[in-house]
Amino acid sequence: MSQEPIVSLRGVTKKIGRATIIDNLSFDVPQGEIFGFLGPNGAGKTTTIRMMVGLMSIGEGEIRIKGKNVKSEFEQAIRHVGAIVENPEMYKFLSGYHNLIHFARMIPGISKQRIDEVVSLVKLENRIHDKVGKYSLGMRQRLGVAQALLHKPSLLILDEPTNGLDPAGIRELRDYLRQLTRREGITVIVSSHLLSEMELMCDRVAILNKGKLVDVKLIGDFIGAGDASQTFLIEALPSERALAALSDMEGVGAVHRAPEGLEVTAERDRIPEIVERLVRNDIRIYGVRARQQSLEDRFLEMTGGEQIG
Amino acid sequence: MVNLILNENMKLYRRWRTWIMVGLMIGAVLLGSIVEWYYDTKEAPEGTWQEQLTEENRQYAANLNDPDTEEENKTYIQRQMTVNDYRLAHDIRPESGTMWDGINGSAELVVLITLFTVIVAGDSLAGEFTSGTIKLLLIRPASRLKILLSKYISMLMFGLLLLVILFVVSVMVNGLLYQFQHMGLQLVTVDGQGQIVERNMFANLWQSYLLNGVSTIMFVTMAFMISAAFRSSAMAIGFSIFALFAGTLLTEFIRRYEWSKYVLFANIDLSAYLVGRPYQEGMTLAFSIAVLAAYFIVFNLVSWLVFTRRDVAS
Ligand SMILES: Nc1ncnc2c1ncn2[C@@H]1O[C@H](COP(=O)(O)OP(=O)(O)OP(=O)(O)O)[C@@H](O)[C@H]1O
Ligand SMILES: [Mg+2]
Repeated sequence: MSQEPIVSLRGVTKKIGRATIIDNLSFDVPQGEIFGFLGPNGAGKTTTIRMMVGLMSIGEGEIRIKGKNVKSEFEQAIRHVGAIVENPEMYKFLSGYHNLIHFARMIPGISKQRIDEVVSLVKLENRIHDKVGKYSLGMRQRLGVAQALLHKPSLLILDEPTNGLDPAGIRELRDYLRQLTRREGITVIVSSHLLSEMELMCDRVAILNKGKLVDVKLIGDFIGAGDASQTFLIEALPSERALAALSDMEGVGAVHRAPEGLEVTAERDRIPEIVERLVRNDIRIYGVRARQQSLEDRFLEMTGGEQIG
Repeated sequence: MVNLILNENMKLYRRWRTWIMVGLMIGAVLLGSIVEWYYDTKEAPEGTWQEQLTEENRQYAANLNDPDTEEENKTYIQRQMTVNDYRLAHDIRPESGTMWDGINGSAELVVLITLFTVIVAGDSLAGEFTSGTIKLLLIRPASRLKILLSKYISMLMFGLLLLVILFVVSVMVNGLLYQFQHMGLQLVTVDGQGQIVERNMFANLWQSYLLNGVSTIMFVTMAFMISAAFRSSAMAIGFSIFALFAGTLLTEFIRRYEWSKYVLFANIDLSAYLVGRPYQEGMTLAFSIAVLAAYFIVFNLVSWLVFTRRDVAS
């Protein structure tokens, strides 16, 4: 990262009443990446975003966007930002098109042509002149994205953008965000607790929990991490005998019976020996595959699972 | 800034609600004027207006000589007689039975303008919070002050629009009902010092519109402040309408206290000074204007402070 980060947080803290909602957050968002805010409900993702876009005052610390201080140079800082914060709320009594005109008027230099461009980008051409009150959640989400892209921002902030989108819509959004970052160098910040989504979408994620930063990692480092010993799923029948055959084997960890077959924790090198032993015991093998520990598991591990807030 | 006002106007005039209000406004003027015209022509007194005024003066004279008549009434009667004499001498007929009767009557409907503008103002800011659209409004390079100001200006423009509608419709309908006769009639009144004043009817009409407009502005500003502070349309509209109707009533109860002259509602009706009847003895037009200005500044300051400082959460 030779470039200057597009967003930087330094010691950001937010208290409401006596509760500390955001606790001393410091990290950088590098330019041109899709950056994820990941955390369970109540982790403080939305609060962090609200402070970044000036909806909430920054308690302590400092947030800079493109080098501009959000607190003291708000108008310059926000000029290059497009965002949806939580739900994509629009004026229900206006058509989608008039909603876009409304937001276009608030930033200089947006042509009618640009409006049409974003409308076709989010594939709303057929319904854009309907009242937003008649839109489905997914359509409102698309209009929200259109609204955020109107002024060709260099930073796009989307709070739970996949909420309400159908699988095709999620895929489209994902592809589109990729295009934006690769082709136009836009940086995207997305928040989500849909972890599988993040895995597919992001280059890097910041994990938040209870208002604190747990870690910032490249997504690849995440999945690969902790690889020494893996879990494998072995479909073998009869399963009782297979279990018995492996339970006392050297170099093999825990063996469980799962609905799909046997779950075996072992090093990768051991697989041939395991298979050999099963075959020698007259056990029929239908399949052996590695169970990748997903981001989700890692994530739950890191944030301690159940508890909210 | 111009764009922000265009936006506010778009949000205002692309709603049914706004046009229903405009419709009600027109309807009220039509109804009031037609009803008045109907009774005016049906129960027209006999004789020419000169005969009527002469007869009226004879009655007044009788009343003046009656020892039971109170002092206060006597001044009123004397003023009326002066006006009548002046009319007879200069051949200026009274408004009754002309289009001006209806037009001046319709000027009372300014209270409807206040009502509608307060509703729109109460909802304009709080509604953005209720719907969540405030977030999209505030994450643009426009300061919160400008957003507040654009809303305020568009509210005042709406009030002005209703006023122009009131004026045009009432002149048109009454003109048609009375065939536009006596359009150039002069208004004759007596001022506070007992001197006869002759004035252009249009000028007088707009003077009364604008004096009432002052109260509209005060109520709108108040609704706006409540809207900004509580972020609830219902509260802003409800409280302001309550104040609109109960305010004057309240001032009646507290009139005997010296401090009551500092209450907003005691000063809001500036037309009281035109007829020389202030809320309390010794109050002057300048005093009321100063009090209103103070309230105006405080209301706007509060709106501005709470709107620009507070977090937008939830
Ligand atoms: N206005 C507020 N007043 C008090 N506490 C608040 C307020 N807004 C948020 N919080 C608290 O701040 C914490 C973080 O909330 P936030 O909305 O940022 O979480 P989140 O990560 O976006 O969660 P989710 O995944 O549910 O959207 C929560 O514990 C919440 O209770
Ligand atoms: Mg959230």
